[in-house]
Amino acid sequence: MKSLWNRIYTFRAVWLAIALIFLFALPSFLSLGHTSLVVEMLILAVAACGLNLIMGYAGMVSFGPAGLYAVGAYTTALLIVKANVPFGLAIMAGPVAAAIIGFLVGWFCVRLTHVYFALLTLAFSQIIHTIIFQWYSFTGGDNGIVGIRVPDYIASINHYYYFTLALTVVCLALMWMIGNSSFGKTLQAIRENPERAEFIGIHVRIYQLAAFVLSSFFLGAAGSLFCGFNRNVFPVYAHWIKGADIIVVCLLGGMYKFLGPFLGSILYITLDKVTVSFTEYWPLVLGLIIVLLVLFLRGGIAGFFTEKFSATTIRGSREER
Amino acid sequence: MVIENLIRQFLSGLSVGMVIFIIAVGLSLIFGTLKILNLAHGSIYMLGAFLCYWLTSTFSTAPGIFWWALILAPIGAALFGGVIEIVLLRRIYGWHMMYQWILTFGLVLFVGDLCKLIWGVGYHMVSPPWPFKGSVNVLGVFFPSYNLFVMVLGPIIFCGLWALLRYTTLGKIIRSATYNPEMVNALGVNVPLVYTSVFMLGCWLAGLGGSLMAAMSAVTLGMDASIIIECFIIVVIGGLGSTLGAFLGAIIFGLAYTLGIVVFPGVAIGIGFIIMAIILIIRPWGLMGRPE
Repeated sequence: MKSLWNRIYTFRAVWLAIALIFLFALPSFLSLGHTSLVVEMLILAVAACGLNLIMGYAGMVSFGPAGLYAVGAYTTALLIVKANVPFGLAIMAGPVAAAIIGFLVGWFCVRLTHVYFALLTLAFSQIIHTIIFQWYSFTGGDNGIVGIRVPDYIASINHYYYFTLALTVVCLALMWMIGNSSFGKTLQAIRENPERAEFIGIHVRIYQLAAFVLSSFFLGAAGSLFCGFNRNVFPVYAHWIKGADIIVVCLLGGMYKFLGPFLGSILYITLDKVTVSFTEYWPLVLGLIIVLLVLFLRGGIAGFFTEKFSATTIRGSREER
Repeated sequence: MVIENLIRQFLSGLSVGMVIFIIAVGLSLIFGTLKILNLAHGSIYMLGAFLCYWLTSTFSTAPGIFWWALILAPIGAALFGGVIEIVLLRRIYGWHMMYQWILTFGLVLFVGDLCKLIWGVGYHMVSPPWPFKGSVNVLGVFFPSYNLFVMVLGPIIFCGLWALLRYTTLGKIIRSATYNPEMVNALGVNVPLVYTSVFMLGCWLAGLGGSLMAAMSAVTLGMDASIIIECFIIVVIGGLGSTLGAFLGAIIFGLAYTLGIVVFPGVAIGIGFIIMAIILIIRPWGLMGRPE
């Protein structure tokens, strides 16, 4: 079994190519409804991988990813609706705005550790939610912003699928490069032992802040993409429940593997749609699944497979107790 | 007119603050002893409110049914909490905070949907009990007497908890288990049992808060998600794990929120979060907590 995994791992370039061809061909044998599900999966995967940069790599547990996701979505929506900015520009502005807000929020947050860090991210995320919810004249309050126009060339679901796929691949590639750079390795060192990292001359806070900003950037990118997909934005995007969804996706797939959150988002949306089709009590089932998962499968799906089939862990995975 | 409005807001701020104090102090107690940030605390509160509604509506003809519900619903919530602690939480003490957060988030979804399954969607009302049905004149303002009752009950609960923790043997065991559970265990105290009772006490407080709130506002789904965030605000202002801190935090939050509605209506909802963020930035351990 172990040699099998090593063989699979050696040919990962081939597998990557196969996966890309598969994803490229996907809309031709899926119905429109299913294609839009895949779009949702890709967008959620970008958000979850973005969150994973700080949660999995840097070990900073944020409870407020939804706020930054909403900043991306609302920036794109507002630029299109209020300022008539071209779509391409608006969708690039989303992540940049999220990164700027992420810098401001992160500036305060990285000074704190553990539960205080998590609670401060939650507080900022809820502040963003309140601003969006209350500022009727600008953000439309709880009515949200509806009917956002997108250009004709990506108006159909299949076209938007390719657009999302391309951006997802770019984002994931960037995140993979970040995770495997010396910067990413330093983040993992900080996760494992912040004191020791400090002693060998790493400026822990600067690294954590940089990771927070990068993570915000990708959360914002996911928000912008979702804004273009859904063409409506609502304050609920910034609510802590939405943030908990993203955290669950990370855990479901496995946080200490790069593709873990990606697998998590596929599984999460599949579970969502499958359970919804035969029971309206989907949160009941999801709640049970989450509880069982935490108790018995903390490494997520990716962690489970590598544990079973791998000779060595790929990238210093750790079960934190 | 302005003065009367301010008095009314002041009183309603205090009464809402007292209910949230009762809930938040349970969360704080659980965090202090068990070191678990229990997201499902709001769900236990909602369960208490629904149990109170269910008891008062099923036996609506019985005399004084609200007072029976006020006793029984929190006990039901505490028993439910005990089951959760024994079956689930006991396995995850000392794990990384993220797993605790996610597991209790799973419970939020589960309990929320369970309430939907049993009681359905919709708003349910519980009318205030005799003798607190009417309004009384306070400084020229007519104010519901039930809210005054809640305002008195809050400090009573606070003093009771404080005396429990300060003077009884159980309180001493709880306080020492907070500092060093291994040593307490080695001295022959059944620490898992202490943990279960602390968790049940916290859940009892949440259920009590839910029952009290049932007669002040509507019982409905979604009340769990908003209260838990308010509890976080209060617990952070006062300091995680501190009883007195939760009391002060609740008063500060209640007043800031209701007076904020008068002064800056637009940002009132956000005031709590702003205070929470400021406290975390300048004094993360809260007003009454100790730095780690």
